[in-house]
Amino acid sequence: MENQIPVIGRSQPRFDAKAKVSGTERYAADYYPPGMLWGAVKYSDHAHARLKKVDTSGAKEVPGVVAVLTCEDVAGANRVGIPPRPDQPVLADEKVRHRGDPVALVLAESKEALAAALDLISIDYEVLPAVFDSQEALMPGAPLVHSENENNILHKGKILKGSAKEALKECAAVVEATFRLPRQEHAYLETEAGVAWVEEDGTLVMIVSTQTPHRDRMEVAHALGLPPGRVRIMAPYLGGGFGGKDGISVQCFLGLGALHSGGRPVKIWNSREDSFLSSTKRHPATVTIKLGCGADGALQALCCRLFLDTGAYASLGGPVLTLALEHAGGVYRIPHVDIEGYCVYTNNPVSGAFRGFGATQALAALEQAVDMLAVKAGLDPLVFRLKNALRRGEESACGPLRTYSTGIASCLKTIMDHPLWLEVRSWEKDAPPFKRRGVGVAAVLQGVGYGPVVPDYANAKIELLEDGRIRVYSGVTDMGQGNASTYLQIAGDILSQRFGDMEAVQPDTARTLPSGSSSASRTTFTYGNALIKAAGLLRERILQRASLMLMGAAYTELALLPGRVRHIPSGRDLPLGLIASMLDSSEKVCVYSYVAPVARDIAGIDENFRNMGYPHLIFSYGAHLARIEIDEITGEVTVKSYLACTDAGRVLNPQAYEQQVHGGIVQSLGYTLFEDFQVQKGEILTTGLATYILPTAVDVPDLLSIAVQEEEENGPYGMKGLGEVCANATFPAVANAAARAAGRRIFEGPLTAERILEVLAEEHKGE
Amino acid sequence: MKKEFILPKTLEELWEARAVHPRGALLAGGTDLLVRIRAGRADSQALISLDRIPDLRGISTGDGEIFIGPATTHQQLLDDYSVQKHLPLLRQSVEVLGSPQVRHMGTLGGNICTASPAGDTLPALYVLGARLDLRSPQGCRTVPIKEFIEGPGKTVLRKDEILSGIRVPMPDPGFRAGYHKVGQRKAMAIAVVSMACQVWINDHGTVGRIRLGWGSVGPTVKTLPEVEKFLEGRPLSLEVLREAGQMVSKGVTPIDDVRAGAAYRRLVAGRILLRLLDLLRKEVF
Ligand SMILES: Cc1cc2nc3c(=O)[nH]c(=O)nc-3n(C[C@H](O)[C@H](O)[C@H](O)COP(=O)(O)OP(=O)(O)OC[C@H]3O[C@@H](n4cnc5c(N)ncnc54)[C@H](O)[C@@H]3O)c2cc1C
Repeated sequence: MENQIPVIGRSQPRFDAKAKVSGTERYAADYYPPGMLWGAVKYSDHAHARLKKVDTSGAKEVPGVVAVLTCEDVAGANRVGIPPRPDQPVLADEKVRHRGDPVALVLAESKEALAAALDLISIDYEVLPAVFDSQEALMPGAPLVHSENENNILHKGKILKGSAKEALKECAAVVEATFRLPRQEHAYLETEAGVAWVEEDGTLVMIVSTQTPHRDRMEVAHALGLPPGRVRIMAPYLGGGFGGKDGISVQCFLGLGALHSGGRPVKIWNSREDSFLSSTKRHPATVTIKLGCGADGALQALCCRLFLDTGAYASLGGPVLTLALEHAGGVYRIPHVDIEGYCVYTNNPVSGAFRGFGATQALAALEQAVDMLAVKAGLDPLVFRLKNALRRGEESACGPLRTYSTGIASCLKTIMDHPLWLEVRSWEKDAPPFKRRGVGVAAVLQGVGYGPVVPDYANAKIELLEDGRIRVYSGVTDMGQGNASTYLQIAGDILSQRFGDMEAVQPDTARTLPSGSSSASRTTFTYGNALIKAAGLLRERILQRASLMLMGAAYTELALLPGRVRHIPSGRDLPLGLIASMLDSSEKVCVYSYVAPVARDIAGIDENFRNMGYPHLIFSYGAHLARIEIDEITGEVTVKSYLACTDAGRVLNPQAYEQQVHGGIVQSLGYTLFEDFQVQKGEILTTGLATYILPTAVDVPDLLSIAVQEEEENGPYGMKGLGEVCANATFPAVANAAARAAGRRIFEGPLTAERILEVLAEEHKGE
Repeated sequence: MKKEFILPKTLEELWEARAVHPRGALLAGGTDLLVRIRAGRADSQALISLDRIPDLRGISTGDGEIFIGPATTHQQLLDDYSVQKHLPLLRQSVEVLGSPQVRHMGTLGGNICTASPAGDTLPALYVLGARLDLRSPQGCRTVPIKEFIEGPGKTVLRKDEILSGIRVPMPDPGFRAGYHKVGQRKAMAIAVVSMACQVWINDHGTVGRIRLGWGSVGPTVKTLPEVEKFLEGRPLSLEVLREAGQMVSKGVTPIDDVRAGAAYRRLVAGRILLRLLDLLRKEVF
């Protein structure tokens, strides 16, 4: 592979695969600096309580304990989070607001000393009334999670168009239902981890597993009271992120620890239990939908009410709600919509970013309602969807005109023509004894990038090294999706260099340039666009200097080849190292700043809503089909076949594309069938991987992925974001299949065997 | 904290090690013990391994029974011809235990001594009438498995004893066997309900003899002699199995936990009898 010149559009093993598979790649969790101390956090014993006294004296006496730190040791604002509500303390000061709230940080020589000290921290609480349900939290008189606020609403939003309530009355068919979507844990392989130390000049340095190194730098500096220039953050490859590392996890503990360690490095690596306790989750959601269509099957009106339980702190709850609302109308033209949502504080675990970012929950509900309506109107679910699907140039249910590539109709048609759909009737009829079969489809979308206000830029940086090799400075974390490999593919394609002639520097605030977060289906779109230009500049510089060295050879006589420039007429080769020696140091590095296009007609939109990301301009689309079998004896679901058709523009690397699609489906099959992060009165019941059930290889069928390659004119090589859209359709597709097989629908996820058997039993009651 | 790890090579060395470390824990595959130690629920000052004692490993046949050393791994059971030939029920239960990794480390003795209500080999061993050798430096006694296990994690093993052998009577030929496990997913799943069955069908198609055992629906494996009696002499038809299933649902004593509710377990414990319709089409041993 090292000897290949990467070509855009051709399957390539990932550049990072070998080091990862052979175990040589170092993740943040793999660093053990000499002389390091271990750090760990003492978490709250209550979901909601006033802190009266934190007594650390006993813990400090444990041999091997170096420091026991509380909020009093935090010199800065002691708050993290994004504007307008950076409301999460590094270490709890006045109150604790959920069971995962950190109260003290211990540094010790060994894990044993750490454990002993954590047990000896004695905390005096005044337990406060707490609230654990998003709708109860909205009632007058509900306990306030943040006493300084008037109520528990973190964010609310509305999308109104036409007159939905009246229009519903005119509809030929209307359905109404309430769906409950579960809380999901990211469950990345690498729990939150990192090491930190203070350099001689006072700079705080950390290597940490994060999707947002440049934003972290600002947050850490602000919370701990350091100038941002004195904080350096490095983000090696992540062992998974999925949104769970979009923002601060252990960064401030690492920093605080390093500032109080007597000059020694500090390492923190959360146990799975601590990770479950303290990390953010996918928002549990309650979505009520009323959807109606005319006699011709054209969707007319949608009313939607959406409640998200955001837990104790803001995290990214505001933008998540905004995207949930923006995606609540799905891939359709609907003239009348009335959508309203609330993102509500509770004393539950904090909810935040998770692949799909609110769209997942909204679409899980909508796409089930669409199926219910198709049944009611007597229409084929695919024909019904296709009839209402947006075409480019049309106005979507929830946003402005679709001005760019809009491939949902092609996705739906691809399913329609596929044997898995064409032969479905006979397949359903052939169910073996005690099995019921059903097929389900769903159509989804996902906005690409941040939206209209938060600048969505990337700064690409690429260098010709002294030895003639090419180095790409990646500004955007690679959390496993493979964007770093794609960056090298782009650079190699433009500069005609082999993988073996190139290297990628992972994000480091001291070396790579701010390029936003690894999130929002933007990592290849935004940085890729910047990199194409930067690599083009470097190519031109190389050729220009080669021309000079050849006494003015025309560019047309020069060919850039691996490791060299060839003068075609003479056959003479100039090694790139030689050319590098002829470049001034200011020329060897090329940078390019790219800003993604955003929707312009946003004048009438509520400012708060705009700031939180509404509306998007470019969307990716997908339609999925699932064939499932239900076991009538036990209620177990087996997914037998699965087809995903995706419009994420042109495909740069089919293998990497397919991996993303597969990963999105598998993660969402877990969400659909098994994963239920259970919390009772603020207490986590599924405390680890023995009770929080992730899918295994044998729970997943062969997954078929078809790319509907509509070119996106703004995307690098015509691509658009893929990482999230592939995760949105699985829940509704499988739920629709289950409803067909069982003859009844289950309105609460996940669709466990227990819930399925319950609805099958209801059927017998009626007999 | 210094931890001792001891690898005795004979039973005598094992007794010595236990005398020196009275609070030491016996380690077979460690797939239960290490989990408990990590959770702070077991002592770990000294670990005494059973891995290198030849007397405690391996499978032998004789005297109308199969003798299995407690430190035999699940994978070794799967690979063994006499287990394949005579104890298909045990084999089926091991096939769905954990994952390949767990089956290569975990042992039959460990599964028995853990005495989990969900232990996958236990319903099979109850149905097969397994007897256990409990050995101490003073001597050996043999007890039936259903007297060995007293409750979740509770056995009659004395402090100075180890489980030194599992004796499974060779079943009379002409039987069919099935282990049916319901978990929260298709592999690496703790049983939410399980049922082991061994049945001899008469020439005229009715049940001659049947032995049944359920896991995860009570503190220990549940056997229901009244259900076996009801089935004996009857054909394994849909109606008969439905009726028997209702008796089962009444007879089991499951609890609610984070994995599943009691009502579901109760229902499925009965319905799972319907799997026996498949059994008639299965291989006869
Ligand atoms: C990921 C995972 C998945 C699992 N899945 C399943 C599953 O699907 N089904 C299932 O039934 N189990 C499962 N288990 C539990 C476990 O693997 C089995 O119970 C296994 O058989 C235990 O055997 P072991 O040799 O590892 O026991 P160990 O952990 O070594 O020992 C268990 C206990 O028994 C004692 N002990 C062991 N041998 C003897 C002896 N000869 N005499 C006296 N005491 C002894 C030990 O001191 C210890 O207290 C799983 C475990 C893990 C970690």
